Amino acid sequence: MTAASRSLPKKSFIDQLADHLNWRRFLFALTLFLFLAMILFPFYWMVSSSFKTGREIGGRHATYVPSALRLDAYNELFNPEADYFQNFQVNIVNSVAVALPTAVLTVLMSLLGAYAVARLRFPGKEMLINSVLIVYLFPAVLLIIPLFTMLSSVSDNLGFQVQDNLAILVVTYLAQTLPVGMYMLTSYFRTIPAEIEQAAQIDGCTRFEVIWRVTLPLSIPALVTVGLYTFMIAWNELLYALIFLNSRDLFTMPIKINTIFNDPSNRLNVVMAASTIMTLPVIILFVAFERFLEAGLTAGSVKG
Amino acid sequence: MARKQIKIFGDSLIAKETRLAWMLVSPTVLIVFGLVLFPAFFSIWISFRNVGLDNLNDVFNAPFVGWDNYNQVFNDFAFKWQGWNQWGAFVTTIVYSFLSTFLTLGLGLVAALVLNRPFRGRGLARGVFLFPYVAPVVSVAFVWRWILDPGPSGVLNDVLMQLGLIDLPQAYLAQRGLALWLVILFQGWRYFPFAMLMILARLQAIDTTLYEAVEVDGGNTWDKFRYVTLPGLRYVMGAIFLLRLLWTFNKFDDIWLLTGGGYGTNVLPVLTYQYSFKSFDFGKGAANAMVLLVILVIFIAIYVTTVMRNAEEE
Repeated sequence: MTAASRSLPKKSFIDQLADHLNWRRFLFALTLFLFLAMILFPFYWMVSSSFKTGREIGGRHATYVPSALRLDAYNELFNPEADYFQNFQVNIVNSVAVALPTAVLTVLMSLLGAYAVARLRFPGKEMLINSVLIVYLFPAVLLIIPLFTMLSSVSDNLGFQVQDNLAILVVTYLAQTLPVGMYMLTSYFRTIPAEIEQAAQIDGCTRFEVIWRVTLPLSIPALVTVGLYTFMIAWNELLYALIFLNSRDLFTMPIKINTIFNDPSNRLNVVMAASTIMTLPVIILFVAFERFLEAGLTAGSVKG
Repeated sequence: MARKQIKIFGDSLIAKETRLAWMLVSPTVLIVFGLVLFPAFFSIWISFRNVGLDNLNDVFNAPFVGWDNYNQVFNDFAFKWQGWNQWGAFVTTIVYSFLSTFLTLGLGLVAALVLNRPFRGRGLARGVFLFPYVAPVVSVAFVWRWILDPGPSGVLNDVLMQLGLIDLPQAYLAQRGLALWLVILFQGWRYFPFAMLMILARLQAIDTTLYEAVEVDGGNTWDKFRYVTLPGLRYVMGAIFLLRLLWTFNKFDDIWLLTGGGYGTNVLPVLTYQYSFKSFDFGKGAANAMVLLVILVIFIAIYVTTVMRNAEEE
């Protein structure tokens, strides 16, 4: 009896575990696990499938782990000697050629525009702010018909091509990214005290010098955010590229991947390899600049 | 009447500032007006015209056809409601947008509550939770199509067959009813991080003394959630709801990539695309887009009058 009472304070291992794992903790861990599994499995499936052979893709059972890190799919994308060579390097170059100018131009133009809106008084300012906001909410699908018909008509008369013209694609992307950039930068500039700039002006700087020497260095984080964010928008864009590009040599990655997917022969490992290549830079950029980008993801919709 | 005279020309400081401002905003204004606002009005004009491939180079002189395009759209089998077996794109769009938005909001709330609790590796988990939202839509849509692949090597088929739940591989995305549910689930999977981020930001701004007050009053965790967390989130949830609804309503990519608009999942944006760029009837496409525009204008009006006014009050 005494021995039993003496050992009472010492809990068995099972009891300790039970204490540790009360139902609330359990529920929490379970939810977390389910979320992580639900999010990560498709990404695992994408990357692992890109290393599978055609046989593993089209077999009688799913292959959960590829038998080896085979580069069949990547060969098909990049190696001119492979059967079904896809010449994917051209598509990567096209995507960069569209996304990079879109990002740079958006940053430059929205920098100037947002500065004016945040710092200067001028007639028509309210109207500009409101139209930018409305445009921000305006979906691409609504604009594609008028843009396409309008640009087709205009280009025919002016003698340039609308179809298969990457520059035109960049311009149409600007229409979607500029409002985002304007919105994010305007709210950022409002957080920089105007006194700093006034001090520089008193010291004899012109407006442009103020922007160049004071505002610009202070707003680098916001500019990086806008640049990355708009780069991603252009990098991921599907609908406009689908409509404006016809030549395979000018396809950006999204429509090229769509083309490979719709190939009647089963090329899912190639689709997954191309998807991996397209997703990887986005995920890397995102992880590297997470702090900046998170602000950007919400800044567009919540003020302040 | 004029409170102050606006001088754009001249040497006064105000005139200089105005000129500078217009110089700075002119590139943005040019693009926004030329490529968004003007086309938006132009599409109204197109919806009353007959525009096809033959007169594409001369759109501005396209023949006027009155309400023809609208009549065609409203009587199209792809558009109108024809009973429970054939919802038509209009009803499908509404059901799809609302259910997706609710799911996104629900998943986002749960995810935000999970991530609001401190635990080891929270920062990492938070980053991972955002992956579906930042990854390119083409990649994730095709991965899901591959997971739901109709062949025996599709993961879902393989798992269900090994468990003995089905005997033969199923084409999940090619079944009426089920396909719509799957597309909605995909929306929830892809867009919950957006709701999560915004809810999380709001959660972290809730005054912790309010929770202590509930504790002092003898309340439990549920009471804290009900009386402090939920009221604190009401405004942000409303804002997310409207924004997501608006964007889901006009989303083309996801459904087009997942089902191509087949098997009872055709929505208005995909239908607009099909009219204009499959049958090349741009007038009909524009008329269909007008239905979207009208609903969009209503949403924006609600958004501006509720969310933005609230934001100013806060």
